[in-house]
Amino acid sequence: MDLSVKIGSGTLPNPVGVASGTFGYGSEYEKLIDVSALGAIFTKAITLEPRAGNEIPRIVETPAGILNSIGLANVGVEKFLKEKMEWLSKMPCAVVANIAGSSEEEYCRVMEKLETCQSIWGYEVNISCPNVKHGGLAFGTDPQQVQRLTGSLRKLTSKPLIVKLTPNVTDITVIAKAAQDSGADAVSCINTLVGMVIDVKKKAPVLPMKTGGLSGPAIRPVGVAMTYRVSRAVSIPVIGIGGIMNTDDALQYMLAGASAIQIGTGNFIDPKIATTILQGISDYMREENLQKITELHGNF
Amino acid sequence: MKQFSATIIKNNKLCKDFFQLDFSWESEKPEAGQFLTIRICDCTVPLLRRPFAFSAFNNQSSIASIIFQRRGIGTELLAAKTPGEKIDVIGPLGNAFPLPEKIQKPILIAGGIGLGPILFLSSTLQDLNISSKFIFGCRNELSIPKSDQFSSQHPVICTDDGSAGFSGTVGDYLSSIWSTIESDSVFYSCGPHPMLAACHQFAQKNGSPSWISVEQIMACGVGACMGCAVKVKQAPGYARACKEGPVFSGYDMVW
Repeated sequence: MDLSVKIGSGTLPNPVGVASGTFGYGSEYEKLIDVSALGAIFTKAITLEPRAGNEIPRIVETPAGILNSIGLANVGVEKFLKEKMEWLSKMPCAVVANIAGSSEEEYCRVMEKLETCQSIWGYEVNISCPNVKHGGLAFGTDPQQVQRLTGSLRKLTSKPLIVKLTPNVTDITVIAKAAQDSGADAVSCINTLVGMVIDVKKKAPVLPMKTGGLSGPAIRPVGVAMTYRVSRAVSIPVIGIGGIMNTDDALQYMLAGASAIQIGTGNFIDPKIATTILQGISDYMREENLQKITELHGNF
Repeated sequence: MKQFSATIIKNNKLCKDFFQLDFSWESEKPEAGQFLTIRICDCTVPLLRRPFAFSAFNNQSSIASIIFQRRGIGTELLAAKTPGEKIDVIGPLGNAFPLPEKIQKPILIAGGIGLGPILFLSSTLQDLNISSKFIFGCRNELSIPKSDQFSSQHPVICTDDGSAGFSGTVGDYLSSIWSTIESDSVFYSCGPHPMLAACHQFAQKNGSPSWISVEQIMACGVGACMGCAVKVKQAPGYARACKEGPVFSGYDMVW
């Protein structure tokens, strides 16, 4: 059975990855899951300088979901390379560095520094974080900016380049096409949806940033629908994300057109979820007499 | 740290809305201050695992305990669990209370549902033959837990409405006995934020070490998501309640 997935110049050993921001730098989970069995680890977003993150509280639970406002809290690119890559480089799975910034220049400088590390398999460009004042979502909602940023980053690397899309736009396929046309090898679909929870006693939003990013099973049907639309609008692979909690959810994304998937919020609920789903996908392929994972993509 | 399926041994109501859950333990020995997370049900509401501090650990029988308050969907479901049922647990997580140095006189202060970790610390000190003063504050006499472990620690009870024990908050009680507090005391506290702040102020006034256990909403519980941040003085200005904590020196916190 061939579970490998080709993305640009690289190949993922299998289609199950863990989403940026939900798995730290990987080692946090080493006692709870066989990290080496994963297809890919999408790291916590990496910025040029360390970021402390947003005001607290940063999380509020919602029906079948969570609203977060972490604010890209991370150790910064220097410390990432110095302290986090040593452990990550021992992993046989693909290490995908998620990069973020407040300006095109920052994204480029982060990538230039990361390019010095051979163990990094590829990049996921975070142009869709709803929780920072500058950059993030501002890039992801404007096709021209997406095109310019992706084009600039494309010139800096021959490694797989994945653009993470926001669902907070009128037409996600326009952004996906802009990424594809400027050299992206794949798109991740979707980042969190903007949401708000209000404390009616305090008459104020629960999160100090007022809004946050909604994730978890509540958003799964949105993610599946967007994956379906995007996969039919572009010819590059789509990586499905959003509320995957079990094998059935993962298969829905793949049947909708995703070549690979990422588990996000699900890691918080059951740290073993990614390997359980990987096993579930293999079982399904066996039952369906499928030899290659690619036979599953968009197959309905 | 380990994820496993624990068997519930007992789920006893200790007082109005406080329960003690005893369950089998298959991971490293937990210490006072540490916590575990429980996936309360295989459902999407509630979604996140819930963190609970250990309130006791029996080394011989390998049974761990938590004390929880029934106050939402998750704890409502937990309160309904019966012996023999399984729960998905991860632990032990976080750091523990540093034990007092030989010359130090521990003062243990718990408020409401902050009882669990302080009670565990009190029992631990008792096992080590270290005498301590244990103060427990709650709303009224209905909020006083009825358990052998609790009464064996001979706590000073403070009630907000004066219906039992000292009439007033734990802060009021500390003020009332201030002249008797020794200079080589060490303060340990867990409870609502205003209580922690008050306890830390007392420790500061006395020039004593101050250890507090914080509560924060958590997502991963293992240091990955940065969701449970609390404000600290040291750069970058935040620390994770689940990893660097939940026990912090009061002197490191931004109050």
